[in-house]
Amino acid sequence: MAAGAAGASKTYSFKVVLLGEGCVGKTSLVLRYCENKFNDKHLTTLQASFLTKKLNIGGKRVNLAIWDTAGQERFHALGPIYYRDSNGAILVYDITDEDSFQKVKNWVKELRKMLGNEISLCIVGNKIDLDKDRHVSVQETEAYAESVGAKHYHTSAKQNKGIEELFLDLCKRMIESAQADERAKGNGSSQSATARRGVQIIDDEPQAQSSGGCCTSG
Amino acid sequence: MSLKSERRGIHVDQSDLLCKKGCGFYGNLAWQGFCSKCWREEYQKGRQKQIQEDRELAERLQREEEEAYASSQGAQGTQPSLTFSKFEEKKTNEKTRKVTTVKKFFSSSSRTVPKKENQEAKAPSPSINRQVSIETDRVSKEFIEFLKSYQKAGHDVFKQCKICLEAMQQKREASIEEQSEYVQDFYQNTAEKLQLRWKMPSEKVEDVMDQIEKFIMTRSYKHVFCPETTDDEKKDLAVQRRIRALHWVTFQMLCVPVNEDIPEVSDMVVKAITDIIEMDSKRVPRDKLACITRCSKHIFNAIKITKNEPASADDFLPTLIYIVLKANPPRLQSNIQYITRFCNPSRLMTGEDGYYFTNLCCAMAFIEKLDAQSLNLSQEEFDRYMSGQASPKKQNAENWPPDACLGVKQMYKNLDLLSQLNERQERIVHEARKLEKDLIDWTDGVTKEVQDIVEKYPLDIKPKSQPLAAIDSENVENDKLPPPLQPQVYAG
Repeated sequence: MAAGAAGASKTYSFKVVLLGEGCVGKTSLVLRYCENKFNDKHLTTLQASFLTKKLNIGGKRVNLAIWDTAGQERFHALGPIYYRDSNGAILVYDITDEDSFQKVKNWVKELRKMLGNEISLCIVGNKIDLDKDRHVSVQETEAYAESVGAKHYHTSAKQNKGIEELFLDLCKRMIESAQADERAKGNGSSQSATARRGVQIIDDEPQAQSSGGCCTSG
Repeated sequence: MSLKSERRGIHVDQSDLLCKKGCGFYGNLAWQGFCSKCWREEYQKGRQKQIQEDRELAERLQREEEEAYASSQGAQGTQPSLTFSKFEEKKTNEKTRKVTTVKKFFSSSSRTVPKKENQEAKAPSPSINRQVSIETDRVSKEFIEFLKSYQKAGHDVFKQCKICLEAMQQKREASIEEQSEYVQDFYQNTAEKLQLRWKMPSEKVEDVMDQIEKFIMTRSYKHVFCPETTDDEKKDLAVQRRIRALHWVTFQMLCVPVNEDIPEVSDMVVKAITDIIEMDSKRVPRDKLACITRCSKHIFNAIKITKNEPASADDFLPTLIYIVLKANPPRLQSNIQYITRFCNPSRLMTGEDGYYFTNLCCAMAFIEKLDAQSLNLSQEEFDRYMSGQASPKKQNAENWPPDACLGVKQMYKNLDLLSQLNERQERIVHEARKLEKDLIDWTDGVTKEVQDIVEKYPLDIKPKSQPLAAIDSENVENDKLPPPLQPQVYAG
């Protein structure tokens, strides 16, 4: 439903949730992406929990809404309320913190269980500028990401590494899955919708009008 | 497309598909059954007639609106008719340039009975708006005013809305889910139509959808907000009681990153609380959302002033929970349900308002399930606070902010004194009991000691006569003694 109505110049609207333990740098990541700022004391941004970004990917317009989620353990149970209807999820862990990667695994399990394969997952190892303190092995994480059908990225919000690629890639994947969705539905979606409401005269009639309108203009 | 023509086939005869003039080409319903060429000719002739018909229709609509105002409002009833007539005038002018007429929204296949159908469709409508209030009137007026700028599309939208309201009225007995679904379908249909048929840019569609939502929900609010058919009201009360029982939760427990000692921050907190309480007074889902958004912005400000960095969700959610606990917003559950059911879904799912609304839902879910663990308390402490036996505030009395109300300070001081007194009294009672026990123990001890001694040294009272008799009788040496002196009689 987030893909919006059909049309040549359509704009995709995607909802992306940011998941991950506190202190893994979710906020820095998204602030770096949307504002290109890091730990800036003079930030004019009021908040970093809901940010939007407009993109143009190969002529397709994309409106990205990035939803930050509270990462504290006590709010874990609220996850489903946040990620309902989202098109993508970015699961962030800190490469110096083994536990944060365990949390990511939990999230992945939960997301796949609740939303199936409709959601595009990105697993992100943040803080690669602290590589000397790395506690999570690259091979392990990448193998894991592959096993659950997610993409793995390494980023550093501090050095602005890998973030642009991460979001661009995610958008492309979300567009693909939105298009696949449309193809699967075909014209069926609009017709089933009208058929459902066909009982009422009013909704039926304008439909006939619109087809006429097309002919006159074309 | 194929499905559509099949459906059409139900009420259109095969021969009707050909041009009505019999020129051999296929006709088109949009051209009222003529082929494009014949239609153009026919259209020139029919135009004048249509203008006339439009004017009649417009007048009828106008009368209807006037009636609605007159019956509900009396004195103010004249104003809207004036504005509406302007609207209609503009619209009829517009009609002369464009082919489609309003009538056709009611019937596509026949132009012979449009008037009858019009009346059928409109007949029940005057009854909808009967219980209108001043606010409803104002909203209707604004809505009509707003639609003016959209001319033909505006008129269509207005009609659809009226029909939707009628249907809502008929559905009043139905379950709230059914009504919600109907309205959601209506939103979706209308938005699609605005985009595809009227070729409106998406920003404008959103604008129109907002107005539609406002118009429809202002009128239906009374019947669909916290309806009797659901247990919303019961849940509201439960939530309210729950929040009241949690009055003792402090911002330290929730790890709220807000320092209320800073006057600006406490100002923001108060504003946020006011906003969230105000939500209940709004009728339109979007206005309710706006209250939540305003509340959230104040929270962000409070966090920003305290931490001097943009708030993340980690900061925001606990603060929102704290604000909800402090505010105890009236009918929270009903409001959330109402917004979920009747708000325009595109706004709720992806927009910024939607994000804050989701957070509010989270806050409520958290409050409902809140336990000792989620506040980092031991179960014992949590139970004690919940039952009102203790108040965690007491511990903070020492570092009470200096600018806090004197009365409150005094109160806490007194509370402290009282609890100290209570403690001392308890100690006294305890000591008294101990004393009592000691006394009893002492008595018992003495008795026992005495008995012990008595047992140890039994008091045998031997017959005293025996040894005395023995002296007399059993003296072995008695024999050795000289015989007792016998009294001798001396003659004297």
